[in-house]
Amino acid sequence: MKDEKRPVRLKGVGDSLWVSIDPTQSIETLKQELITVFQRLGHLTIQAKVVLDLEDADGNYDSLILDIRTFLKETYNVASVLENDKKAKTEKKAPPPLPDWDKKWKSKKSDVLFIAGRIRSGQRINARRHLVVLGDVNPGGEAMAGGDIIVLGSLKGKAVAGQPNNHDAIILALDFKPTQVQIGMNVAVGIDTDAPQTAEFARVEGDNIIVEEYMQANPFAKLHWPQAR
Amino acid sequence: MEGKVIVITSGKGGVGKTTATASIGAALALEENRVVVVDMDIGLRNLDVVMGLENRIVFTVVDAVNGVCDIKQAAIKDRRIKDLYLIPASQSDNKDVLEAEGMIKLCGELRKQFDYVIIDCPAGIEKGFQNAVAAVDEAIVLCTPEVSAVRDADRIIGLLYARSITPKLIINRIIPQMVERGDMLSHDDVVEVLSIELLGLVPLDENVVVSTNTGIPAVLQKNSPAGEAFQRIAKRINGDVDLPFEIPRTNRGLWKKLAQKIGMRRRGA
Ligand SMILES: Nc1ncnc2c1ncn2[C@@H]1O[C@H](COP(=O)(O)OP(=O)(O)OP(=O)(O)O)[C@@H](O)[C@H]1O
Ligand SMILES: [Mg+2]
Repeated sequence: MKDEKRPVRLKGVGDSLWVSIDPTQSIETLKQELITVFQRLGHLTIQAKVVLDLEDADGNYDSLILDIRTFLKETYNVASVLENDKKAKTEKKAPPPLPDWDKKWKSKKSDVLFIAGRIRSGQRINARRHLVVLGDVNPGGEAMAGGDIIVLGSLKGKAVAGQPNNHDAIILALDFKPTQVQIGMNVAVGIDTDAPQTAEFARVEGDNIIVEEYMQANPFAKLHWPQAR
Repeated sequence: MEGKVIVITSGKGGVGKTTATASIGAALALEENRVVVVDMDIGLRNLDVVMGLENRIVFTVVDAVNGVCDIKQAAIKDRRIKDLYLIPASQSDNKDVLEAEGMIKLCGELRKQFDYVIIDCPAGIEKGFQNAVAAVDEAIVLCTPEVSAVRDADRIIGLLYARSITPKLIINRIIPQMVERGDMLSHDDVVEVLSIELLGLVPLDENVVVSTNTGIPAVLQKNSPAGEAFQRIAKRINGDVDLPFEIPRTNRGLWKKLAQKIGMRRRGA
């Protein structure tokens, strides 16, 4: 296969998303390519800072950048879109250090909304990323998150995790009796409310939401290294 | 000493707010308190009918707030019970005629003249509710053992907490036979979801319907289980916090006394 240079490439994910684009391409092509790249990133794009790298292109592309900025903000809810300034560009980039898997979680800034209390009917708690509720979610109450939802109590209302489209997210409750759960774009309803009180969690498999007893499945115990979520 | 302003509210309509206001007001007055009940269901007044005072209405709560009359003129004295007064709603206005400031002022004055001011709140969470709770010291949330009523009560509880009011709970219209058959939520189910302090359990009782139509309060009727339940609720409001709860039961129409306290105290159940 020919190593053809794509018009849009993701160069790095850290504090910000570094995306290099070829400004000589048409805006349609660029949007198409951006969709491919951003779709894969899932919830990481929410409120992300995006830095556009126009590589070595000469000329003025201000209106192109403006178009891309509006597109990304509207479609992926990113916080900002900036052009990489020339100075930084001329600096020689140091090769990225090899990840030390054993310590990688250390560099992770916590991104969890941790709340205590009861979410009552008509109330909605919205977390940018993960949500932990030390308490119950009542029928009619709503817990929403960009990532996982953990309820250390009874989940009897609605839980919406992995918004807008993170299908890796899970919903876990010590007493799992939601009226409805959503993970990414998947929706499940009608979970048996007479079931005994056990810790269960919901995850996506294919196009379905599966609910399993948590300790029996113990899904994350299978990971070899502690990882930040 | 200043009196207490207590609102009776529910979110959902028809669960028994007006019945409870009339009964608790009457029971508190029978215990030698000066009591005024205020009908805030403006446009759909009921409390006057339930208390059998509709033909005495000259002024209303809207007149009292707007200074058309003073409180003495608006407060109608009950025919049977000493120290019980009613300030009726107006039937012709709608719920937007009053503002919270007016209610705060009115309640401030009522507090000076009465030991208890009981407010009958309209259903819903809009302006009528907001006016009714504007100046209260305490709130009683009324709920029936139905999923929809519990849902609405929960919403109201959240709104009350948001105003720094800690509500207490009355469960009304309990049908023991249905609870025992498993066809109706038990009071434990309701308390588990709503998770607030329980003030009383009131069974469904034919006497209530009779009393609504005759204007004789259920608390004055002999052998009315609902009337007795409201009397115990009034005692608890009046400070008798150790009064044990009685759970409505079917056996021979008698209520089994329970020594233990129920509701919020459950542990490790
Ligand atoms: N414990 C009870 N047993 C039998 N009937 C009851 C009981 N409590 C209330 N009712 C009946 O239920 C009906 C509705 O009660 P009520 O008017 O007090 O409700 P409400 O909450 O004030 O309604 P609204 O929201 O319309 O103001 C009335 O017919 C009343 O007689
Ligand atoms: Mg009423």
